[in-house]
Amino acid sequence: MKEANIDPITLTVIWNGLLAIAEEMGSTLRRTAFSEAVREGEDFSTGVFDIQARLVAQGNFTPGHLGSMPYVVRTVLEYFPVADLHPGDAILLNDSFLGSGHFPDCFLVSPAFLNNEVIGFVCTTAHHIDVGGAAPGSQKVHGVTEAYQEGLRILPIRLIRAGEFDADILRIILGNVRAPEKVRGDLRAQANANRAGVVRLEELHSQYGRDVTESAFDEILERSEKRMRELIGDMPDGVYSFDDQMDDYGPGTPPIKVAVDVTINGDVIEVDFSRSSDQVPAALNSYINYTRAYTFFAVKVYCDALLPQNDGGMRPIIAKARRGSFFNPTFPAPSGGRAALQIRIFDAINGALAKAMPHRAMGAFSHWSNPNIGGLDPETGKPFVMYDLMFGGYGGRSDKDGAEALAPVMNCRNIPVEVHETHNPVRIHCLELIQDTGGAGKYRGGLGLRKDIELLAEEAIMTGLGDRHDTQPYGIFGGKAGARAETILNPDTHPQTLGSKDVTSLRRGDIVSFRLAGAGGYGPPAERDLKAIRRDIADGYISFNAAARDYGVKN
Amino acid sequence: MLRMAFDIGGTFTDFVLAANGESPRFLKLPTTPDDPAKAVEEGFDMLLREVGQSGKDLEAVLHATTIATNAIIERKGAPTALVTTEGFKDVLIIGRQKRYETYDLYMEKPPALVARRSIFEVSERIDHRGTVLKSVDQAALKELVNSIKNGGYSSIAVALLHAYANPDHEKQVECVLKESLPGIPITLASSLSPKFREYERTSTAVANAYIRPIVSSYIDRLEGTLSGKGFHQSMFVMQSAGGLISPDIVKEEPIRIVESGPAAGVLMAGIIGSEAGINHVISFDMGGTTAKLGAVDGGVPAVLPTFEVDPIRYKAGSGLPINVPSVELLEIGAGGGSIARVDLGVIHVGPDSAGADPGPICYGRGGDRATVTDANLVLGYLNPDFFNAGAMSLDLESARAGIARDVAEPLGLSIEEAAWGIHVVANANMERAMRIVSVERGRDPRRYSIVAFGGAGPAHAARIARAIGMPEVLTPFGAGVGSAIGLLQAAPKIEVSITSILDLEASIAEEACRSIYEGLESRVVEDLKRLGAPGTPKFNRYGYFRYKGQGYEIRTDLPEGPINSDFPALIAEAFHATYDKTYGYADREAAIEAVDWHLVATLPSHSDKLDLGWHVPKSSIPPRQRKTWQPEANGFVETKIYDRRGIFVGTEIVGPAIIEDPEATIVIPSGDTAIVTENGHIRINIGSRV
Repeated sequence: MKEANIDPITLTVIWNGLLAIAEEMGSTLRRTAFSEAVREGEDFSTGVFDIQARLVAQGNFTPGHLGSMPYVVRTVLEYFPVADLHPGDAILLNDSFLGSGHFPDCFLVSPAFLNNEVIGFVCTTAHHIDVGGAAPGSQKVHGVTEAYQEGLRILPIRLIRAGEFDADILRIILGNVRAPEKVRGDLRAQANANRAGVVRLEELHSQYGRDVTESAFDEILERSEKRMRELIGDMPDGVYSFDDQMDDYGPGTPPIKVAVDVTINGDVIEVDFSRSSDQVPAALNSYINYTRAYTFFAVKVYCDALLPQNDGGMRPIIAKARRGSFFNPTFPAPSGGRAALQIRIFDAINGALAKAMPHRAMGAFSHWSNPNIGGLDPETGKPFVMYDLMFGGYGGRSDKDGAEALAPVMNCRNIPVEVHETHNPVRIHCLELIQDTGGAGKYRGGLGLRKDIELLAEEAIMTGLGDRHDTQPYGIFGGKAGARAETILNPDTHPQTLGSKDVTSLRRGDIVSFRLAGAGGYGPPAERDLKAIRRDIADGYISFNAAARDYGVKN
Repeated sequence: MLRMAFDIGGTFTDFVLAANGESPRFLKLPTTPDDPAKAVEEGFDMLLREVGQSGKDLEAVLHATTIATNAIIERKGAPTALVTTEGFKDVLIIGRQKRYETYDLYMEKPPALVARRSIFEVSERIDHRGTVLKSVDQAALKELVNSIKNGGYSSIAVALLHAYANPDHEKQVECVLKESLPGIPITLASSLSPKFREYERTSTAVANAYIRPIVSSYIDRLEGTLSGKGFHQSMFVMQSAGGLISPDIVKEEPIRIVESGPAAGVLMAGIIGSEAGINHVISFDMGGTTAKLGAVDGGVPAVLPTFEVDPIRYKAGSGLPINVPSVELLEIGAGGGSIARVDLGVIHVGPDSAGADPGPICYGRGGDRATVTDANLVLGYLNPDFFNAGAMSLDLESARAGIARDVAEPLGLSIEEAAWGIHVVANANMERAMRIVSVERGRDPRRYSIVAFGGAGPAHAARIARAIGMPEVLTPFGAGVGSAIGLLQAAPKIEVSITSILDLEASIAEEACRSIYEGLESRVVEDLKRLGAPGTPKFNRYGYFRYKGQGYEIRTDLPEGPINSDFPALIAEAFHATYDKTYGYADREAAIEAVDWHLVATLPSHSDKLDLGWHVPKSSIPPRQRKTWQPEANGFVETKIYDRRGIFVGTEIVGPAIIEDPEATIVIPSGDTAIVTENGHIRINIGSRV
């Protein structure tokens, strides 16, 4: 390690301090937020930046904003030069290209000052429950062909001036969204979090002085980059490819090809999605910031889960895709539902890297489902949006079964049944694992998840956002694929199969049954431990029939 | 009359015997993990023999224990069945689904306390208002009972959807189970924790059922042992929320005593604080493996409505959520045994720990990784010949060699600089925790003092206080048996709560508040009967409220007295004020929603003045000198070393200085001054110089 001009003890303390700032912003945001997505789902991120607009620390929240966070302050500075920023200001943006790939993610950037000079920035990003557009939740996929149908697009604007919200701008925003109280509450929560972050960043600079703090930042970025290069250097060089596909981008549309070529060359890894399909006229496209976010995520998972998260660590990871392709669309490509993609970006990279690092590989995830149901709440007379998150199992891993029912790539808590039923006109009839859906293997894939939701309001629109209805989650190294997903309307009365991304009108009493896919297995089923098979039978994860069929176990 | 308190910890069982008009007697014995009652019996015999009394002379026995926690952590509970609503069998297995480490896809979920095969579904359904949508299917229930009967379970939990709003179905299930399975204890989620959010409530009920047989037989054995000694008065056990409860309640609701010992510690910190005229206290208990922080606000220990048991690497979200009140406790992996290592050219300390066995390198028991205690020894803070009252000597040379190898050489630092780095990083970890407990939770650090105890706490507290901006540190005399002391002064306490979501502006709000509190009062009265402690209870109301639309509630203390038409408005005002204090603003236009309602009944505690056995020294012991590392001088400085047993009340000690105590070493950094209070505590004033 090169001789640093800062002693290791001071560096340690400043580094800890930065992480603490990012965490403290997150806990403030979570505790004061209004919408379920933020407070229960933790669909938000926090970042701390230096004077050069470099990301020096990111909070350990959802990875979805990883790809955009490093650039967001630079973007803001293009619109608002430093000289134009004042204490207490905050800049808002949600553009899908500049931000994290869809409008609901709103970024709020605040400058920090010491002696009237800007010394750095903090940023929070939160998934807002609605930003207007064609359907509640602003994530409608089918029938949305341009970003202009997806609601309010905000290029950087000064939302907060000297600590006060600009009432005019706020009125425009709140006048265009379906749940204005929640959006207002969440923007306020972001402002709270930013204020907490600014105060702490200012304290850090005043405690150690600008020179020491800034040279600590240089060291942090340099060391993180060096570590990442070492880890990539340990991966075997080569070009690794993998092809998979998504069901479609709406009823009657063709599948979307998800194809990746990963090149490991010395201490650089390049992940190229160019061979994938062209951008589609449905709100699924993955803007490059989003593609990049989950590329970083996948590489980090393969290298070291605890790697520091900052500008430096991301430098040796290159994410690219052909311009105009599904993974690097051009504006105004619609993208509201791009969250459906995150798992598939990981699954694709995992499929490719499995060849290089089999011990880190896993079977494909069960995918997930992220439906929105919106309508008029008969009790309050006001619109409601039920945003839900359903997670199934993990693919089998090199030394153990896939985890059951765990947030897959994104990291959010689910929303309790009792919370949904208290706040939305719905009744949930079941929430359970589906027997025999996990891909067989030496290490079994986790099961799919079933959730049946009944509408209690007069009518509502449901926007589906799932996948793996057609292409099963793959198994690896001889492991079997998981069972396909299904969405069925009124399964017990007039069953009607819905596509994974359909928009469906629901009437009172309709029940939608979501049945997620099972995850893929790892290794040949013949190698599975008999005790594990018997345990699975006893616990109902697999049936006797499946044990006989998949593992040749008779009793 | 005599009162005996004992705290069974993982390593030691601490005893205090208090007698009227006499100084209390202390005793520390190794815990006997296979049968904890063994050490208890021995301790009782020893202390009673010392005063020439027997068990029948004891007026009360007060107890804290880790038995409930250990049963969960070691997964040694009873085979337990769970009965739940049809369609929701997997609520417990699914949990809240968030990974406690975002970038780790290779992790395992913490295993549930019951296997999937032991979860049984009953056909029934109630909605969030408590309306029955589908009655209990009695025929199916009978069948289910048969399956449970054949499963060989020795405890059962029942947790049905929305039962917090209407417990009727859970009671029906209980009734049928009781009939067919006499003698098997049944835990109802709706009576243990009538709160919404099904996973957390189910987890609480299952954990309670899981440890119920083991705790129950433990209590029986203990009572048998004590009655064999002639003791026939009441024994009380410390609950997590910091009040005493009777064995009858513990046997039914053992989940209430999971944080028994730490609660006694926070209580002790509060008592020490009040004695010194300090009402706002952060308790800081740093032992061998972890540091535990708690808070006392205005003389009252802070209590949270939920906590997690058995977290992985102290990470939030990795443990099993438990919906019963507990003293607010933040535990981090920073203790004397925390291991130091270098990564990316910076120092990391913990959460891995060498614990007490093998312990730090300097213990000479086979530990070979540099720890915080090794660093403190190298820095001269610890006396190699006076550790644990001289019961063991510390090996300085091995500690130096370990720090050289693990930290100094990789970073190109001197051994002393490296040791100082370890000390600083350990402090930084604890500062972070201290900041969460103070600033992030709305406590102004300038108004709070630290009460530092545990073997390592007093060596670190003053610098942490300075970093956070806290004005003083108090280190009690007799801190080594602190929790047992807390027990002596604890009050019998009953707390009940319920989820009832209510818009405070609704026309029915007043009536609803009244009926909620009538319901809670009748439950408290029931519990007070089971408690069987004398005196007139004092009642406190509080609740958890939020702005309508928010998902996290904050605690608000509610007015006492009759509930009349002003009550909802008084709640609203109290909530706005609390919100403002916590987050710096209040939205007085926004509607407020009530979520949880609590009622606490506290009986009078034993009112003896706390006597920790400290005596005014007969003669002062002049300080010795030792070289200690002082970062301000960037080197070793001759430092005065005081013996705590030989300092007069009011003596002012100017830092840098060290005060040695048989149980802990107090470090007074330069810039700070310490004074001995009239009760024998050391009060360190943090100087303003930075």
